Amino acid sequence: MKKFFALLKVSVKSMLLSSTNSRGKSRKKAATGAGAILLIAFLGLYMSGLYSSMLMQVLSPLHMEVLVFVFMGMGALVGGLLFTAFAVKGVVFGGRDNDLLLSMPVSTTALMASRVAAIYLENLLFSLFVLAPAGAVCAFMTQSGVGHSLLFWVRLLIAVVALPLLDTALSVLLGALVAFLSARVSKGALGQNIIMGIYMAAVFWFAFNLNGMIEGLAANAAGVKESLSWAAPMLWMADGILGDWGKLLAFAACCIVPFALVVFGLGKVYRQAVTAFAARSARNDYKLSAQTASGQKKALLVKEARRFFGTPMYLWNAGIGLIMLVGIGVAAIVMQGKLDEFLAMMGGALPVMPIAAAVMGFCLCTCVIAAPSISLEGKYLWILREAPVGEQPLLWIKTGFELLLTVPCTILAGALLTVALRLSAGEGAVMLLAALLFSVIHAAFGVLMGLTFPKLDAVNETVVVKQSLAVTLGMFVPMAALGVCGLLYWLGGLIAPWVAAALPLALLAAFAAACVLILARKGPAMLRAL
Amino acid sequence: MLHIEHYSKTYPGGKKAVDDLSLHVRPGEIYGFIGHNGAGKTTTLRAVAGVMDFTEGTITIDGHDIKKDPVAAKKVTAFLPDNPDLYEFMKGIDYLNFIADLYDLPAEQRTKDIAKYGDAFELTGNLGSPIGSYSHGMRQKLALISAFIRRPKLLILDEPFVGLDPSASHLMKGYLAELCQGGSAVFFSTHVLEVAEKLCHQIAIIKDGRLVKCGPTEELVGDSSLEDVFLELEGEK
Repeated sequence: MKKFFALLKVSVKSMLLSSTNSRGKSRKKAATGAGAILLIAFLGLYMSGLYSSMLMQVLSPLHMEVLVFVFMGMGALVGGLLFTAFAVKGVVFGGRDNDLLLSMPVSTTALMASRVAAIYLENLLFSLFVLAPAGAVCAFMTQSGVGHSLLFWVRLLIAVVALPLLDTALSVLLGALVAFLSARVSKGALGQNIIMGIYMAAVFWFAFNLNGMIEGLAANAAGVKESLSWAAPMLWMADGILGDWGKLLAFAACCIVPFALVVFGLGKVYRQAVTAFAARSARNDYKLSAQTASGQKKALLVKEARRFFGTPMYLWNAGIGLIMLVGIGVAAIVMQGKLDEFLAMMGGALPVMPIAAAVMGFCLCTCVIAAPSISLEGKYLWILREAPVGEQPLLWIKTGFELLLTVPCTILAGALLTVALRLSAGEGAVMLLAALLFSVIHAAFGVLMGLTFPKLDAVNETVVVKQSLAVTLGMFVPMAALGVCGLLYWLGGLIAPWVAAALPLALLAAFAAACVLILARKGPAMLRAL
Repeated sequence: MLHIEHYSKTYPGGKKAVDDLSLHVRPGEIYGFIGHNGAGKTTTLRAVAGVMDFTEGTITIDGHDIKKDPVAAKKVTAFLPDNPDLYEFMKGIDYLNFIADLYDLPAEQRTKDIAKYGDAFELTGNLGSPIGSYSHGMRQKLALISAFIRRPKLLILDEPFVGLDPSASHLMKGYLAELCQGGSAVFFSTHVLEVAEKLCHQIAIIKDGRLVKCGPTEELVGDSSLEDVFLELEGEK
C-alpha cells in the first residue's frame, strides 16, 4: 500500500504540474494556473446550477425531483467520459516513464491503479461540479425539505465519489481498445479516428435523446422516468440520494465492481498490455521512388497537419469544435421549421443575430488547435531551431494552420445560419465579421498562450492537449471575451441598434489587432527563449 | 568554416557552463571536441548549431554570424544531437522530405541522396513506416541520413557513435571523410577517444567550461595516446 501511495503521489503531482508551464516557478504563473482552475470550476458549477434549477422548476411541482439527479448524473457520466476517454491511452498506457516504473519492484496492479487514480480524480471533479449544484438546488427549491438533512448530503457525497468509478472503468476500457488498435492496425491513427468518431457520434446521439427527454418532462415526467429503465443505476443513484439507502448501495456496487474488475483485471496483465500497445515494428517493404520538392512554408504547414490528423487525441479534442460549428449550421437548416416556430413564439424578443454569433464563438473556443502547438513541439523543438527558418514564419504557420481549419467552417456555418435564421444580408455580414475576427483572436491568442506557458517536458501529448495551462487559457479567455461582447451589445442597445453591433465588433477588432501585434513583435523572442 | 571567438555561456542562476572559448575549424577538417561529462561540450555544440542562445562572444559559420544572421548560417549547417528525437507521427520518408524542403533541396538531388544513404545504412525499406515504430538505432540512422542529404558545409555531431552498430559506425566514418574531402568540415564531440584519435585532424579538450588544449591530433598526442593526454589534463593520471 505504501508503494501504491508513492506512485499515486507521482501521478497526481504530474497531473497537477501539467497545468503549470515547464519553467513554472514564479508565483505569478502559479497564480494564473490556480485562476484558470477556479474559472473552470466556476463555469462547471454555474452551468450545472443553471440546468439543475431549470429542471427543478419543472419537476418540483410534479414531485419528480429524482429526475434532476438522474439527468445530472447522466450529464456527469457523459461529460466525464468525453473528457477522460481521450486521455487514457496517454496517461495509463503511454507514459514516457513506463520503462522506469515497470523496472521498479512494485506490483503492476499498484502501478496501473496509481495511473487510473489520476483519471478517477479528473472524473471526480466532473462529478462534484455537476452533482453538488444539483444538491444545492434540491435543498433550496423543493418543498419536501429533503435537501435540508445532513444525511442527504452524506448520500450525495457517496454518489459523487462512486459515480466517477464507473466513468473511469468505461474510459479505461475504451482507452485500452484505442491503444490496442493503434498498435495492431497498420494505419493506427485512422483506426483510432474511426473508433473515436463512432464514440463521439454515440455521445451526441445520447445527448440529443437526453435533450428530447428533458423537453417532454413537463408533459409526462412519470412516463419519462418509466422509459429510463435502461439506465437503472442512474435511477438507483437518484433514489438513493433522496433517501433510499438500499438503492444507493446497489448503485455504489454498480460503480465499484466494474472499476475493481478493470483495475485488477488489467492490472494483472498491465506489463503485457503496455508492451503490446507499444510494440510497433517497422515494415521493411518500402520502395523508394522519385521524390517531389516543395517550399519551406508548405512543409511546415503539412507537418502541422500531419500532427493534427495523425494524433487522434489532438484531433478529437481540438477538432470537436469544428464539427460542432458545421453541425450547428446544418442542424439550423434541417430544423428551420422548428426554429421559425420557436422564434415566432418568442415574438421577436430574442436578439437572434448576436446569439448566433455567440454560439459560433463558443464553438470556436473549443477549437484549441494553436494553443497546444508550441508545447507539442516539446522534445522535437531542436528540429525547428536547427532549421534555417526564422521564428516569425514558424509562429505564423501555427496561427495560420488553425485559421485554415476554422475560417472555412466559420464561413460555412455563418452562411447556413444566415439563411436558416432569415437574417438580413447586413446582419449576416456583421455576424460573419464578428466570428472571423474571433477566429483570428482565438488562433493568435492561443499561440501567445503557448509561448507564455509552454509545457515542453510533458510525459505525453495528452497532458499538453487536455490539461496544460496554455490550452485552458486559450479556451476560456476568449470565452470571457464573448461575455464582454454580450455586455457591450446590451449596453450599446441602450443607445442605438448600430451601436449595439459596433461596440462588440470594435472590441473584437482591437483584441485581434493586439494579439497579432504582440505575436509579431514579441513572439520570435519568446520562441527563442524557450 | 567555423570561428568561435570568446564564446561564453552562463545559465540562469549564474553557473558559467563555458568560459571564453575560442577555436577555429577549417574547411576539410574533422575537429574532435572532448571533455568529461558536464565540461560544456553539448552547450557549445548547441550554441554553434543555433539551437541555444549564448551570453558572450561570436560564432560564425561560413562567414555568417549565428546570432545576427541565423538563417543563412543554418542553411549551410547540419546538427545532430546526442539523442535525436524525431517526429514520431511522420514516416521516415516524410521526415527526410520535410528536412529537404526546409533546406530547399531539389527533388532530383534528394531522391539520389536518400537512395544513396538509405541503402548504405540499410534503412530504405523502413522509410515507409512511422518513426514511432523505429528502434533507437534506426532513428539515429535516419537523423544521420537527414544530415548527410543536406550536403552541409559544417556538420555538427554530439556523440554520434552512441546507439550505432559497428557497421553503421564504420559507414559513418567513411561518409564523414568523404564530406571533408568535398571541402566541408565536421565538428563533433565524443567520449570514444580511440575514434577521435584516428578520425580527427584537430582535437580540442575542454575542462570545466575552459579550453585546456587544442591543436593537430599528431601534435597533441605526440608519442603518447589521446587517452593518456586526456587523463593527464584532467588530472586523473
